Amino acid sequence: MNFYITYFIIAIGLFGFSALFALFGVYAERKVSAFIQDRLGPTETGKYGSLQTFADILKMLQKELITPAAADKLLFILAPAIIFIAVYLGFAALPWGPGLVPAKLNLGLYYVFAIISIETLGILMAGWGSNNKYSILGAMRSAAQIISYEIPAGFAIISVVMIAQTLNLQTISSQQGILSTETIKFSGFWDVTSTGGFFAWNIFRAPHLIIAFVIYFIASLAESNRAPFDIPEAESELVAGFHTEYTGLRFALVFLAEYSMMFLVSMVGVILFLGAWNTPLPNIGPVHLATWTTNAGWGILWIIIKTLTLVGIQMWIRWTLPRFRVDQLMALCWKVLTPLAFACMLISGVWRLFLM
Amino acid sequence: MSLAQVLFYMMAFIAVASTLFVAATKNLVRSIFMFFITLFALAGLYVLALADFVAITQIVIYVGGILVLILFAFMLSGKETLNVIGTQSNKFISINKLPAMLLAGLFLIVLLNMIFKIDANNLDWVKKSVITKNMILPDSSMTENIGINLMTKYLLPFEAISVLLMIALIGAAHLSRKGRGA
Repeated sequence: MNFYITYFIIAIGLFGFSALFALFGVYAERKVSAFIQDRLGPTETGKYGSLQTFADILKMLQKELITPAAADKLLFILAPAIIFIAVYLGFAALPWGPGLVPAKLNLGLYYVFAIISIETLGILMAGWGSNNKYSILGAMRSAAQIISYEIPAGFAIISVVMIAQTLNLQTISSQQGILSTETIKFSGFWDVTSTGGFFAWNIFRAPHLIIAFVIYFIASLAESNRAPFDIPEAESELVAGFHTEYTGLRFALVFLAEYSMMFLVSMVGVILFLGAWNTPLPNIGPVHLATWTTNAGWGILWIIIKTLTLVGIQMWIRWTLPRFRVDQLMALCWKVLTPLAFACMLISGVWRLFLM
Repeated sequence: MSLAQVLFYMMAFIAVASTLFVAATKNLVRSIFMFFITLFALAGLYVLALADFVAITQIVIYVGGILVLILFAFMLSGKETLNVIGTQSNKFISINKLPAMLLAGLFLIVLLNMIFKIDANNLDWVKKSVITKNMILPDSSMTENIGINLMTKYLLPFEAISVLLMIALIGAAHLSRKGRGA
């Protein structure tokens, strides 16, 4: 019976983590955007405005839950929950450190990929349920975008899976460091099994995976509806896209889902390409940096640092690049990213056969 | 009853009940979203049958792909055309429904025949597989098994399906292309 209690604690812990991350994510986003646009951002509430998002969420919780009279009430109320749960379920299979994984699925990666695609359904539900032109336009754009970008993301993921030969996220992680049970070769020629460090990361094991990583990263921006791919909620055209009609707690859930999604896609990227919870420090001669910094505690630290770096890049990109037009968006996906991802997959196959 | 059995009956109930709702409701959008629950319950049943790869594929393809496409088609069509369904006659038995009822009735007979004729606990081929150890255990790896079988035993059907999908893809691209004059 004890392990059921552990399951509950882990589930609640993950929820708490995503809520906390959203809280600090919004604050960081506002500060980053302020820095990039040469403003100050929030300064009044708390030291350096650090309590601003906390105050915002308190305000949000007290607001009235307005359901539009013409809305499909059931769909309207359920949609934010489905959007958030889809993202939250994805966290179940992600490893945090050696031996630390909420659910040790041998199909972990495929599961995460599947569960993320449910978010589309929630968004369509919100768009239709609101009974609002802007909402439905936003939802349609969002669904079209997410479905299109799942293809290059999928092929970039497959090119990693072909190198790793497994769908188990924990096995993929441990393959990229000194805990690996098979020989790791840096760029296919230098045996780094006992050296570890960043040499053993997937993007350095097979250099074409750097391209795959960039493809995955761009596609993941699109999948989490972040700028420059935020036409679903383009505020100059669509008010706020699919969540135009949402207020209070329901709006907070949509927001929570967006920030959890940012963290989730970054974490999947880190696990697949950037060595997961493995240390970036290699063993150099008698200085066993990699051995000293590989255990559960360090694992959590490394994966959080790497993921937050990617999240930071996402924010940086959002406040630097202008929004794509819809035809540019589709052209980039189908004419550039998809063929490149196919090429990566092909190279992966050849690489696996001849260089590993 | 073991936990697996309880889960099985729960999923089966959800699947049947949500399917009935899908068929009975007049609100088309809700019926599509209810179908999503049906598909999830089916995925759960696949997991109980040790076919976890099939379960996840079901979610990727049906929920992430086909259901969203159905919704797309639905949302692109006008509200007036969709309201026709709401104004249809409410009678359970009518001449319009004769073909459907005939089909459903015949299918029911086939199904009942199957259920009564088959002795599910002592099937020949199941017994034979158990003796020859040609079976899948809860801890065996499914994905490798599927991959190896697709590339050896079932290569021809696999390739035939690939060609079929390719034809569909080319056809779709051709249809959606603007004519040279237009």
